[in-house]
Amino acid sequence: MTAIENAAPRLPFDRGNALEIAPLYAELRGRAPVTRVLTPAGDPAWLVTSYEHVREVFRDNRFGRSHPAPEQASRISYAALLAGPSGNHDTEEREHKRMRRVLAPAFSAPRMRALGDHIKTLTDGCLDAMQAAHDAHPGEPVDLTELLAFPLPVLVICELLGVPFADRAHFRQLSERIALLDGRDDSERAMHEFMAYMSGLAEAKRHDPQPDVISDLVAVQADDPTFTNEDLARLAAGLLFAGHETTSTRIALGTLFLLSDLRRRDRFVADPDGQVDRTVEELLRLSATSNTGGLLRYAHQDVEIGGVRIGRGDAVLVATDAANRDTSVFSDPDEFDPDRSPNVHVAFGHGAHVCIGANLARTELRTVFPALFRRFPAMRLAVGIGDIAVRRNRLAGGVESVPVLL
Amino acid sequence: MRVTIDTEKCVSSGQCALTAPEVFSQRESDGVGVVLDEEPAPEHHDLVRQSEMYCPAAAIQLQDT
Ligand code: HEM
Repeated sequence: MTAIENAAPRLPFDRGNALEIAPLYAELRGRAPVTRVLTPAGDPAWLVTSYEHVREVFRDNRFGRSHPAPEQASRISYAALLAGPSGNHDTEEREHKRMRRVLAPAFSAPRMRALGDHIKTLTDGCLDAMQAAHDAHPGEPVDLTELLAFPLPVLVICELLGVPFADRAHFRQLSERIALLDGRDDSERAMHEFMAYMSGLAEAKRHDPQPDVISDLVAVQADDPTFTNEDLARLAAGLLFAGHETTSTRIALGTLFLLSDLRRRDRFVADPDGQVDRTVEELLRLSATSNTGGLLRYAHQDVEIGGVRIGRGDAVLVATDAANRDTSVFSDPDEFDPDRSPNVHVAFGHGAHVCIGANLARTELRTVFPALFRRFPAMRLAVGIGDIAVRRNRLAGGVESVPVLL
Repeated sequence: MRVTIDTEKCVSSGQCALTAPEVFSQRESDGVGVVLDEEPAPEHHDLVRQSEMYCPAAAIQLQDT
């Protein structure tokens, strides 16, 4: 191997356009399932790119989100979120279980299914706004991000958490600042503001509880004094962020996948309800957004994975984007195939930390695409896919805008 | 077919309850999966197998009866 090949590449890797992933992931997987990289902050980490080993790390409880000696931990970025270790090494497992116990019922499949009709109504409202924007300037592009991909998940998560939708401009800019990879002090300031905002909402619900998740969290505090106000504020901010940013990006990228080849659109338009479940899974599999390589873990012991020895305390980036395109599991992995089955992707993670909002996200995505393409069956992109700017300086990529002609 | 969930392994993702609601649900107290119908009718078998294959915690067991 030459010196260049030996040098650990630095994240984020270059990619062609919003729908592709960086070719370097497959190249690294070709060398080994676990390879050395440098994080966006320039620190050493292990990148796991093979499907098999991604699932193995997710299932292995010798990896966690905390670090045995946090001050020595590799830093991922200079964002305020997911940039380094979180939680306490001794109490991580207990706190994580508590978090899931409290949240899982609020996002359960039966509750999300019951929400379906309401999500449809909210979607129709967004589609009306798209139509109105078109009617105001016929022939001009409409930005699907501003009118659908952003507001719909925000409307839904606001209702579930008990956050006023009217505050969206405020928490939108906070969400953007906490996720800026080079945000540094400003990111930290935004995180403090975000937590103060959530604390304010929690305080109001302490006096006047409502049927919403923030009130549930406040109720947990009454029985568990170790769940501090700061824990609550951080978790609530994380939920508001995770609850809209991720789904919003999938709506935008999903629309781009369906519109970047009009045969895909026409096929979907022909039978939206019959195709939606598999189409959504395929869009989830292919939507690659990570600019930090993958989901963050720290080894709590020395561990051997895929023939590589990972030392206690080492940072591990679990590349779900890469695993979802691993040729050993998915044939023609870069192809969009709305018939793909089985399609056991890891877009929501796997194992103990698997996404709590997956039922909600699936319910939203399964509602939004049929409604969108039924309303605007001839919709097309106003620009080429190469002209859609990918956000590289943020934790989760995604795109700035999706200009469409209705 | 006999269906069981290992509640120790279950991570409360609710993936099964979304896929096969006639057969699976989630406990209201903590979201842990529950089997509503331990010997589901043949028309549910496909979705039950799918739930087992997709379970993020490998917590669903199927036995032939
Ligand atoms: C399409 C949309 C979404 C995607 C692709 C997604 C993806 C993920 C992934 C990959 C993880 C695992 C993180 C890890 O292992 O470190 C995760 C965890 C999580 N997600 Fe999502 N998510 C989505 C939507 C949501 C929504 C709508 C919520 C709303 C509440 C949410 C809340 C959470 C929470 C609380 C966790 C942490 C679970 C834990 O650590 O045990 N997500 N998500």
